[in-house]
Amino acid sequence: MNHPGPRQYWTMFVGPYGLYLLVFLVLPFVNVALLSVYIHSPTKIAVAEFTSANYAKLFELYYANLFVRTLRLSVVVTLVCVVLGYPLAYVLARSTSRVMALGLFLLIMPLMVSTVIRVFGWVVILGSEGLVNQALRLAGAAGGARLLYTESAVILGLAQQSMPFMVLPIMAAIERIPPSLEEAAQNLGASWGQMFARTIVPLSMPGLVSGTLLVFSVSMSAFITPALMGGRRVRMVGQQIYEEVLTAYDWPGAASLTIVLVVLMLALVSLALWATGRRARLETARR
Amino acid sequence: MAGSKVKLDVRGLTRRFSPQVTVGPLSFQVMDGEFFSLLGPSGCGKTTTLRCIGGFEILSDGSIELDGQRLDDRPPHRRDVGLVFQNYALFPHLTVFDNIAFGLRLRKVDKVQIGRRVAQMLELVDLPDIAERYPAQLSGGQQQRVAIARSLVLEPSLLLFDEPLSNLDFKLRIQMRYELRDLQRRLGTTAVYVTHDQTEALALSDRIAVLSHGRIEQVGTPSEIYERPATAFVADFIGSSNILTARVCDPGRGAGTLVETEHGLALSIPRVADATGAEVTLLLRPERFRMVADGEGGAAVPNRFTARVRDVTYLGEDLHVRVLVLEKQPLLVSIKNSKGTRAITSGTTIDLAIDPEDVHVLRR
Repeated sequence: MNHPGPRQYWTMFVGPYGLYLLVFLVLPFVNVALLSVYIHSPTKIAVAEFTSANYAKLFELYYANLFVRTLRLSVVVTLVCVVLGYPLAYVLARSTSRVMALGLFLLIMPLMVSTVIRVFGWVVILGSEGLVNQALRLAGAAGGARLLYTESAVILGLAQQSMPFMVLPIMAAIERIPPSLEEAAQNLGASWGQMFARTIVPLSMPGLVSGTLLVFSVSMSAFITPALMGGRRVRMVGQQIYEEVLTAYDWPGAASLTIVLVVLMLALVSLALWATGRRARLETARR
Repeated sequence: MAGSKVKLDVRGLTRRFSPQVTVGPLSFQVMDGEFFSLLGPSGCGKTTTLRCIGGFEILSDGSIELDGQRLDDRPPHRRDVGLVFQNYALFPHLTVFDNIAFGLRLRKVDKVQIGRRVAQMLELVDLPDIAERYPAQLSGGQQQRVAIARSLVLEPSLLLFDEPLSNLDFKLRIQMRYELRDLQRRLGTTAVYVTHDQTEALALSDRIAVLSHGRIEQVGTPSEIYERPATAFVADFIGSSNILTARVCDPGRGAGTLVETEHGLALSIPRVADATGAEVTLLLRPERFRMVADGEGGAAVPNRFTARVRDVTYLGEDLHVRVLVLEKQPLLVSIKNSKGTRAITSGTTIDLAIDPEDVHVLRR
């Protein structure tokens, strides 16, 4: 062969990033995996002797609660994003290109601001002396309500931050559905609601799955938002890992938390991909 | 075949997109069991008209009645009108069976009935073995038939077609044309068919409405539209044609009128009421000319003239010959391919004649 075939091009195209991932993701992760089975030492960080103690510790009530809370909050954030994002994605996908461009800009704008600054904005709004409480006091409510450092506050912050990750894939999926399918469904006797449930929902399912996975992963591993908006009361796994690394210097403990978090997410993601992949293969099968 | 009862009554249908872009007002009636085509170039308003009947465009003015009932104020899903889309619009996530059963399920038809009727439909469109396939696994022609079956299974009182054959290749298009007509005649369903393909409209329709710029130019049977076009637009749009401007030389009495075209060709034509000097527009179909042999009739043959051949387009069954008469008057002539036509080449001269009855005078 004198000229490079597709295989050589693949190597050229994927190679650099593959190398990058190997050096900066795979190898460190292997290191983390090793750390998670080493013995914690206050002086030397870790002693290279195998133990299962770091994992056994995670069965304590505190850690079990931590994981359950993280899962629960992530599920709620994902649901909030689906409920608010799906209709928005439909409207954007079916609007004129000018409206769509404006909508996308507004949707993505929060991502252009650093998480810390965005969360600070929420503090200004929700804090004990914040806008909402001042308004409540003006309206006559004594004392005001605690809004910050609650699960609701964390959900609010995370949902806002994740919304683009839900809306964009769903919008892309709906855009690919020819409007004539909607008309065909109505022509065959489907009311608008029946049409939506029987054509738009199933056909945008790949987008919904991508959006759900993205929002869920972002929420599961969220760190700054729960730390600043949830405080000590609403702690999630990300913040726990951060503190075990930097405050407690328990790197093996942090490593075992990390491994469990990653395995949990990989398992959920694979399950979702497997379930939708089967359908997609059937529908796009060619003779 | 077409009955005498009015099925669809469109009165003053108007759809204004903007002051510049308006379809209508259009009025026409479609008889029970009739195959009615809306024919015109793109942008003439034929698809908009169809979408108004289907309920996907809102009328700015006018009304539509189906079986004497007001149709245009009903939402699209309560119209009992089947629509076959240009791109078929099959649901890619459903099997052929589920596609056809879609409307039946919405109508809460029981399972056994659905199975029976879907099987019947697949039999009818000659696709008995594909119920479990997905649309992506079907050829264009098969998808087309499934789309038709999906509409027909609901036994709609009116069937709408939006250029349903335009995405198929030539041979399949011709074949589907025959199948579509057979199916429609067999079931007696009234059909409104939108197309920009004049051959398709001529082959399929009981009657055709020719549209241009949002208005109806003429409604008539295929032969009326072709033989006696009402306007120069219809004459030009349907088939190939020679449209000539001429001046009346002698109105004549009992028999024909004598005219002379702007390029000096004298022709006798069917009698018209216009006075000497009046301007008339004539339509001469290319296939109505015939070649005259040297020895034939002489002066006894009316409208006989000698023409110089400019070029010849070989089309197999026919030759399209562009000629010049009196070195000034261009004409397009279609001649059946035969042994004698081999001698016709660029630069030669041929003798042509056209029967005065075959010259059509266009209304102004």
